[in-house]
Amino acid sequence: MKKFSIIFLFLLTTSCMKDWLDREPRTILSDQQVWNDPKQIVALLANFYDRLPSGSGLVDVNDGADGRLFQWRDMANLDDAMWSGQSNEDGRNNMTSYNYSSWYLWNYTFIRDLNLALENIATYGVNLTDSQKKQYSAELRFLRAFNYFELVKRMGGVPLITSQLIYDYSGNVSNLQQPRAKESAIYDFIASEVDAIRNDLGNDGSVSRANKYTALALKSRAMLYAASIAKYNSLMAAPISTPGGEVGIPASMANNYYQQSLAASQEIINSGAYTLYRNNPDAGENFFEAVTKKASNKEVIFVKDYLLPTRKHVFSYDNIARGIREDNLGSSSVTPSLNLVESYEYLDGTNGALKIRTADNTDFIYYDKVQDIFANKDARLYGTVIYPGTTFKGLPLSIQAGVMVWNDSRNAYDVVEGSDLGTTYTDGKLLTGTSGPHRSIQEVSNTGFYLKKFIDPNDKTSTRGVQSDVWWVWFRLGEVYLNATEAAFELGQTGTALNYINTLRERAGFPANSVTLLTTERIRNERRVELAFEDHRLWDMKRWRIADKVWNGSSASADAMVYALYPYRVIRPGNVHDGKYVFVKMVATRFRAPRFFQLGNYYTAIDQSVLNNNPKIIKNPFH
Amino acid sequence: MMRNLIIASLLLVLVAGCKKDNYEKPKSTLTGRVVYDKNALGVRSNGVQVELWQHGYALFSKIPVYVGQDGAFSAILFNGDYKLVLRQGNGPWLDNADSVDVRVNGSTSVDVTVKPYFIISNASFAKSGTQLTATVTVQQINNNLPLESVNLYIGNTNIVDQVNNIRSVSATPDISGVVNLQMTLPADAAYFARVGVKTAGVAEQVYSAVQEVK
Repeated sequence: MKKFSIIFLFLLTTSCMKDWLDREPRTILSDQQVWNDPKQIVALLANFYDRLPSGSGLVDVNDGADGRLFQWRDMANLDDAMWSGQSNEDGRNNMTSYNYSSWYLWNYTFIRDLNLALENIATYGVNLTDSQKKQYSAELRFLRAFNYFELVKRMGGVPLITSQLIYDYSGNVSNLQQPRAKESAIYDFIASEVDAIRNDLGNDGSVSRANKYTALALKSRAMLYAASIAKYNSLMAAPISTPGGEVGIPASMANNYYQQSLAASQEIINSGAYTLYRNNPDAGENFFEAVTKKASNKEVIFVKDYLLPTRKHVFSYDNIARGIREDNLGSSSVTPSLNLVESYEYLDGTNGALKIRTADNTDFIYYDKVQDIFANKDARLYGTVIYPGTTFKGLPLSIQAGVMVWNDSRNAYDVVEGSDLGTTYTDGKLLTGTSGPHRSIQEVSNTGFYLKKFIDPNDKTSTRGVQSDVWWVWFRLGEVYLNATEAAFELGQTGTALNYINTLRERAGFPANSVTLLTTERIRNERRVELAFEDHRLWDMKRWRIADKVWNGSSASADAMVYALYPYRVIRPGNVHDGKYVFVKMVATRFRAPRFFQLGNYYTAIDQSVLNNNPKIIKNPFH
Repeated sequence: MMRNLIIASLLLVLVAGCKKDNYEKPKSTLTGRVVYDKNALGVRSNGVQVELWQHGYALFSKIPVYVGQDGAFSAILFNGDYKLVLRQGNGPWLDNADSVDVRVNGSTSVDVTVKPYFIISNASFAKSGTQLTATVTVQQINNNLPLESVNLYIGNTNIVDQVNNIRSVSATPDISGVVNLQMTLPADAAYFARVGVKTAGVAEQVYSAVQEVK
């Protein structure tokens, strides 16, 4: 007891010391500490860059509270590909229609964090140099503009919040309830932000942090979207719009947006800071490397980078071709469709439809080797898709659905397919390849094709133990060329447009000046084949306002269904065709419901909880 | 003995566990039709919906009720007061955000009156071999939006519409008189046929009743 009193006394005396309780916390960083230390600011920036959302990407993240969104599986939801992986995801092949809440994004937590960082750096960053302050603020504003672009292309005009909203405990929240801005106002905001910050960004030559050209690439794309929405929405039989302009941009604004897009694209192209990747003399391999290879790649402008052994993803594990997978599970999830394969033109500029049947449709066309049907195709096909008869990682792919055995009594072929992969027919030769295709087995291509773009070409990267560090490309020069082509063409500068599109096609193996007559369809198809699986197709179809026509929900439609191409070996002893290969085109067997994009899908439905919390927010049309 | 004891106690848990803290399932039914001039309008199955809202609970979100292809809908609900409203921009009719108060108590029936852009009357189908001819009268009810097309659909089941069909033909005819549409059938067999009218800028069509042709 006596001891206790002494301690108590001691405590009493010492506690009177000044500032005894005024101490720096040891476990929490204060605002002053964070916003005056470049290292900590960069660490925060890394967090913010990591939270930029994407439609597909290479990983699977959907964290609404944090604002992150990456759904690589969504690559299988359109007409460029279908799902051939684990059968519990087969719903992607059976969607009766796209849900009105598809592609939803409302990540104001991220916007708030950015606004908070911008204000804090101004308030607390007293020890930073002016140029440091400028650069970090510019990066934060770039990230905010980027995120608003992700919001506006999905939701239409959204509330434009550029400062912290603080509750004053008055019981009245009406000052926190902001209405939606006009759709055009969001696009204008993106343009003006890019113009304001472009010279402060620094980071020259960086592909993972934003520099001047990253910002211009954002402007090039965003202005093109705004322009085409202004033009093509007004051309609809009944334009989609709201009275307040939250959705829909007047046609009169199209020209100005096209000009802004073209100017941004030309500044990037003419700067010489980036060049189209041409390091490999083989045009097909070159195109694969242009997206995937990191070393001395001057084409990519902005990426989400990964780095083994710690920063990695399982995209290659999930999507590697079945026959060459290195793990005991996985593979083959997103498999390109015949629709996409046929959209790649022949090198002489003719339509890319594959020649399967004779002109009078009485017999197959016979090919000596299974890859011969793909001869003289646009080299980008080889760089994007693994098709029968090719190799990957130096390993040959065995892609054959079965055999066609001539039946003399019926005067026709009997189709024989293996019940398993890697099977041998009674003649001792291949029946069904180790990579299929197969009509029903999961984790083997159902279409006859495999994805190549974004698949890691290095050893063991398709195992769950090692994984892959292929980067996700946000912006690359190839897209900027296409943006410039489209904007110039819409502005009537056809000569300029032809120059850009032909430069890009030359890189893909076409001869010089391969396009002489430019049309909207040609430009649209060029975007489809050049930018396949880089998260463009959906947004392009939306801004051109043709998604509801192409994906019309009719199983009789050539575009709304996903088609497959099955190769067969011919067994017809004594005949000239014996041992050759024939191909059958059909609707992929695991694909059951046509793609159905309704008018209500042009703008995603705003969640009911958002509407309940803020009565000033109006619904999008058709919801 | 031990096994019996376990089974007995499990049974006891099962029986007792179901009693407590479970709500009775809803039993009252609400049925109705989407009508114009007292006639139900034909629509696409799984396409058009009406919304039910109920105020006074923490969770405030709609109860979607799909309208069947004959224009009728039904829902099983708890007794209470609901507001019934058309889904905006959804059906082949003018938007109307006015809600209808519905008191559900036991079995309740309600008709929702809408203003369609077009209606179809006097639909008839004639089949001769593999040729099918549909004859309809299309009447424009309001002039807000133009006609896009008149479509003839056939299907193998009695669910037929713009999505569920095996063949279709489309035309943009003069609708001041009787409209005729012709189609070659895949085979000389029995099919279900239906005519739909598409208004420009409206996704959903208004349809005639499904009819079997043989």
